[in-house]
Amino acid sequence: MPELRKDPIIGRWVIIATDRAKRPNDFKVESADMAEVAPCPFCAGNESMTPPEIRSIRKDSTEPNKPGWDVRVVPNEAPVLRIEGDLNKRPHGIYDMMNGVGANEVIVETPDHIEHMSSLTSEQIAKVLTAYKERIVDLERDKRFKYVLIFKNHKPAAGASKIRHCRSQLIALPACPKSVKGELEGAKRYFEYKDRCVFCDIVSQELEDKKRLILDIDGFVAIAPFAARFPFETWILPKKHSADFTSINKYGIKELGKVLKEVLLRMNKLLSNPPYNYIIHTAPYRRTKEGYWDTIDSDYHWHIEIIPRLTRVAGFEWGTGFYINPTPPEEAAKCLREVQV
Amino acid sequence: MGELRLDPMTARWVIISTEKDLGPSGYDIESPIIEGGTCPFCVGSEKMTPPEVDADRPTDSAPDTPGWKTRTVPNKFPALRNEPVIERTGVGMFDMMSGVGEHEVIVEDTDHDKQLADLDIDQIKKVVNVYKRRCISLGDDDRFKYVLIFKNYGLAAGASLEHSHTQLISLPIVPKRVMEELECAHKYFDYKERCLFCDIIKQERDYRHREICENDDFMAFSPFASRSPFEISIIPRTHQAYFTEISDKQIESFSAILKEILMRMKIALNNPPYNFIVHTTPLNGNDDVQEHYHWHVEIIPKLNRIAGFEWGSGFYINSTSPETASRYLREVKI
Repeated sequence: MPELRKDPIIGRWVIIATDRAKRPNDFKVESADMAEVAPCPFCAGNESMTPPEIRSIRKDSTEPNKPGWDVRVVPNEAPVLRIEGDLNKRPHGIYDMMNGVGANEVIVETPDHIEHMSSLTSEQIAKVLTAYKERIVDLERDKRFKYVLIFKNHKPAAGASKIRHCRSQLIALPACPKSVKGELEGAKRYFEYKDRCVFCDIVSQELEDKKRLILDIDGFVAIAPFAARFPFETWILPKKHSADFTSINKYGIKELGKVLKEVLLRMNKLLSNPPYNYIIHTAPYRRTKEGYWDTIDSDYHWHIEIIPRLTRVAGFEWGTGFYINPTPPEEAAKCLREVQV
Repeated sequence: MGELRLDPMTARWVIISTEKDLGPSGYDIESPIIEGGTCPFCVGSEKMTPPEVDADRPTDSAPDTPGWKTRTVPNKFPALRNEPVIERTGVGMFDMMSGVGEHEVIVEDTDHDKQLADLDIDQIKKVVNVYKRRCISLGDDDRFKYVLIFKNYGLAAGASLEHSHTQLISLPIVPKRVMEELECAHKYFDYKERCLFCDIIKQERDYRHREICENDDFMAFSPFASRSPFEISIIPRTHQAYFTEISDKQIESFSAILKEILMRMKIALNNPPYNFIVHTTPLNGNDDVQEHYHWHVEIIPKLNRIAGFEWGSGFYINSTSPETASRYLREVKI
């Protein structure tokens, strides 16, 4: 019997197909038939092929836009939003609009031409996470922005271009994205009702229940969420309550580097190198609507969502916001837990 | 300069990339190819499907035999199953219910090689009549809150069989996106005491730059904050809450505009895969919903992959402005 499960945070119902549950081998992963783009603009030595760097983690006494870096942040060459100009919020009849102002940056995760983030050392991944943190902190000074999204598209089927050099992206936005807002509101409602953080409750239930637990390493857990929308969807959450990703300290970053590497390695092995996306969900900058997000520190909890792209999402899902997941999360967690890497 | 536009129906911001503003040739379109082979929806294969629940056929022809014009059968691989009772349970902090619902397939025509756009208006009218009939029939069951009518055309849009068909699912819940639309429409109505959708129709008819075509009863336009390129809305011009309220005259004009839109899309976008979804007022709701919600159809050609950014954030980047999209669709010769 299929099940309808409710996401406890945003209240979305998902169909979990239990009858003909799909196992890892049932998904056809599109093989990479990518022509290599040469030379690669993200490799060490080719720094002049990108716009000048915004920030880099590099060896002392090396110069910007020269080799010697470990992680490099550069503006996106074809940005979807422009950094210059004001928002000019305005009506258009009954509609509302504003200028497309925002930042769009690329975080190059390694100077070597490596495609998989899971091939990096956990120390290197920790440096990438440090760069994320620094960029979010820095962009907060720009009063036009309300939210910074950090995400990764791995392989073209997940939205990446054909350059096989691992990197993530950052987009700073003048408006809070819809799904983040939904989470914030849901978490707030839960807190008003229970006086506890919904994510903390999820973490403790999953640690106890163990059925959907994938990893429990140091201060983090990786779980298959109860109402997962996608097969093998995985979340990484800090065990200790924290609303902002940027509150993570250097020990936390080290641990998160380990967990992220481990999850990606397992996913890669189990699902034969699938395209995937991950996205960091963190609290918005607290500067708008005085008092509105007062409780955010108590009721929101940052986390990372990782979604392997195994199914073609039909318009059905898209047009209704109603998802059909062919792999129960318990099954997904079990496979990810047991896979040997 | 790109623009950020707020979708008044869902309170969602969308990035409209006016700089790129791609025309149809800017997309890599995977046009569906008909390969043929054994098809459970073809005439003569009636036994390959579960027994029909509805069919347009002469009175002297037996069910599950040839002779039909349209045929509705239960989905062989349903996403939900029809069980008598919906069981709601809690699992620790989580909530769930049994996946009860009907999942049907409407075979739109006997011809394997024709797509919905190729059918003549009389045949499309038959199909729309089936939609209405099945919606009323499934809506009679008070366990259900929603009947979803949708169509996937082409593999890239999620169709697993090439013979033209529509699907219908009755659900014990209201889908998230419809819920969001209801909430926004409700807020708007509270504030303005007018239907949001009626206001949108009025503005689009005045403005004209996003309108694609219209007839006596319906209008088709590119929504102001379209999430995806060449997204199309078809909406009844006068207020109507439920799709099932569609009159015989309206069925005629709806079939005409649907065919016209599908033809325009087929030619302008080189026969793209697409999805088609009817958004209507939930069943068994309270009466005031009828004042502020207005049924409509969303048609989304599948032109590009949605990247992680869109999925994770619900923040969409659309590389064709709706004004450009509607211009292409309006000007194409059909």
